Amino acid sequence: MSFIDSVMAGLSLVSSVEAFLALFVGICIGVVGGAIPGLSATMAVALTLPFTFSMQPITGILLLLGVYKGGIFGGSIPAILIKTPGTPASSATILDGFPLAEKGEAGRALGMALWASCTADLVSNLALIFFAGFLASFALQFGPPEFFALILFSLTIIAGVSGDSLLRGAIAALLGLLLATVGLDLVYGTNRFTFEDPNLMGGLNFIAVLIGLFALPEIIAMAWNPVAHLGQTRSLGKSKVTITDYKRSFKSIVRGSLIGVFLGSIPGIGAAPSAFLSYSEARRKSPNKDNFGNGEIEGVAASEAGNNGVAGATLIPLLALGIPGDVITAIIIGAFMVHGLQPGPMMFVLNVDIVYGLFIGLIVSSVFLFLVGSVAIKGFKFVADVPKRILMPAVLVLCIYGVFAVNNNIFDVGVMFAMGWVGYVMMRMRVPAAPFLIAFILGPLLEDNFRQAMLMSGSDPMILIRGPITWFFWTLTVIALVAITRTVVKGTVTAGN
Amino acid sequence: MKKLSVVIGVALATLASVAHAEYPERAVKMVIPYGAGGATDISARTIAEPLGNAVGKPLVMANVTGAGGATGSVSVQNAKADGYTMLFARVGSHSVNPAMKATLPYTLDDFRFVTVYEINPVACAVTPASGIKSMDDLIAKVKEGGVSYSSSGVGSLLHLAGAMVLKEFGIDNPLEAAVHIPQKGGGAAATAVLNGTATFLCTNSSAVAGFVANEQLVPLMVTTPEPVVGFDAPTANDLGKPALNQLVGWTGIAGPDGLPDDVAAKWGEWMAVATEDAKFNETMTSRGSVIQLMNPVDANEFIQTQYETFRQLVDDLGMRIEG
Repeated sequence: MSFIDSVMAGLSLVSSVEAFLALFVGICIGVVGGAIPGLSATMAVALTLPFTFSMQPITGILLLLGVYKGGIFGGSIPAILIKTPGTPASSATILDGFPLAEKGEAGRALGMALWASCTADLVSNLALIFFAGFLASFALQFGPPEFFALILFSLTIIAGVSGDSLLRGAIAALLGLLLATVGLDLVYGTNRFTFEDPNLMGGLNFIAVLIGLFALPEIIAMAWNPVAHLGQTRSLGKSKVTITDYKRSFKSIVRGSLIGVFLGSIPGIGAAPSAFLSYSEARRKSPNKDNFGNGEIEGVAASEAGNNGVAGATLIPLLALGIPGDVITAIIIGAFMVHGLQPGPMMFVLNVDIVYGLFIGLIVSSVFLFLVGSVAIKGFKFVADVPKRILMPAVLVLCIYGVFAVNNNIFDVGVMFAMGWVGYVMMRMRVPAAPFLIAFILGPLLEDNFRQAMLMSGSDPMILIRGPITWFFWTLTVIALVAITRTVVKGTVTAGN
Repeated sequence: MKKLSVVIGVALATLASVAHAEYPERAVKMVIPYGAGGATDISARTIAEPLGNAVGKPLVMANVTGAGGATGSVSVQNAKADGYTMLFARVGSHSVNPAMKATLPYTLDDFRFVTVYEINPVACAVTPASGIKSMDDLIAKVKEGGVSYSSSGVGSLLHLAGAMVLKEFGIDNPLEAAVHIPQKGGGAAATAVLNGTATFLCTNSSAVAGFVANEQLVPLMVTTPEPVVGFDAPTANDLGKPALNQLVGWTGIAGPDGLPDDVAAKWGEWMAVATEDAKFNETMTSRGSVIQLMNPVDANEFIQTQYETFRQLVDDLGMRIEG
């Protein structure tokens, strides 16, 4: 079957009203679901899954993919407006998105988030269609030693999001690493820092930590000093993103999309690290370096490109190898199996119409995302105009509800409040929250892959430099460390003079 | 006056019927101790529809995840034993974990099983690139050294399965002869074999069915007495190891220990109706499960026997996790 035939077969499969309607409805559900703090994209997909069982396979899968893509974008809405990431992947968006909203440019930040998301989505989908085979075989070369080197390099982005004090960033990162060790030991299965409480055996809930760290300090600060914000200009979301903004950020968007495609095609990393990596690269290359963290539109663009770039690419290991790259694709693979489809190399032979149908649906999804997103922004941006004394209690209620709903566990709500106070103290001491979060996400990955590598080699450290991929990331790590050291030394010398 | 007495009479009758109302009067909370999209979750959500019809009250499905199913299990262990909080118990949380972990906050005695409705055959698989074509090849490789196996984590069915299979095939010290490389989750365990991090894995056949169909993995054996559709591999009985029949996954429903007899009996009846549902059977079978309904007594005995077998193995090999 030639390429044209495959495309036509796919087209005949998706060219039904239901398929496109499902995709559209999916994106709507996703954007709204992602926009509700705590109800992450993962949960939105999980809740939609049972409805797809009775649908045609292609319709059901497009519905889920729509929810996924919509959810990843939707998460940026509360991240920008109320400093609460709707989905973990959008936590990097807070860094510059929320300061922009505080300056009264919520509309501009949301618009940029949408444009960057759609661009990255398109790039990611094209990468899936044209390079799936290549990227999949590359991804299979990632064993524990390669992961270890990649994550070690990713940890250097902590320097990029530490703000003006590297020391404070390092302190935050150490705290994040420490809290990430709570739970069961990977290799021995023993309890670590659980204090005999079964609730701690599963580790601290990620969403609870995330929301506690970012959203609650704002609310506590508000309760502490209810009139502090009066007189500040926060209204209104009338500002819009301009073509000039987009052009200026275009390089960062493309770079972020490619980082997303690369990290997305490797199973087991996910969208949050990709967003942070894209953000820190954009900051490193930008002439407006100092403005990052204070409301730089390019920072929003880079983060959103980084997380949406992952969305299409996670389907590469899914379709080409049958491997789910993250929790969301693990749920989607369930939908394939319920319909008797088995993703993997054979699917490109046996169900080529479905594969191409999905490709066509994905390309269309970028357009739908743009349409739905534009409407959503129009609706949501007025949240920026709501007076803080009304907004903050409402956010608190949403946070409690959302964190409880993640795992139906009241203990997680307690974790959220505890982290809220930690976050508040950090805010007062000007310790940045982003390094904490990065360490919290990457720390366990680093440890697990290191220990798996040691198990593989019988504790011979040479396995960590076993091939070109590891050499590549070790080199990058050294370069990054040298660059960071030089910046710090230069800073000290300047300060000394 | 007459009117009033009628009203009172009706009211009293209503009250009386409330007092004698039969279980269930309200919605039942069903805890799924594993994450969305996993084997337990899909199994639970597939049975939820026919089961809900049989129960006649809504079933509220709640995923309470963490610590290999322990967090969700504890939440049911501590719930009131009135039949309004029930648990989807799984092989990992209710026979492997209790057998392996000394510090687990619950034991089998803290639960009363009302049914086991699904059995999942276990299959062992390797990559075609490994050159291993049969269990004999694998065992020969293990004796040479350098063989490893992946699992979804310490104390998971996969962890125990790898050791149990090697031991049955005559490797006396499987813990030293083969390296166990734990991963986080079943998907990661299969990936580890695909990318060469580990040599083989033994897991639920449904977890590797896709890879086997795609010829990315070669099945070496299935543990059920009957062959598994789509798996061109001998059964444990064909290979003369019927003891491995114990090594199967399952899903069941349990309540807290003090669950009244009449409630348990009710669940037995409901499950008998629910598992007759054609769509449920079709969905589950297509995913490689064997629908096998057990009444409360059989379910308890089945789980107890499996637990004893695993416990014996764990003690023999010194695999018990104390810390």
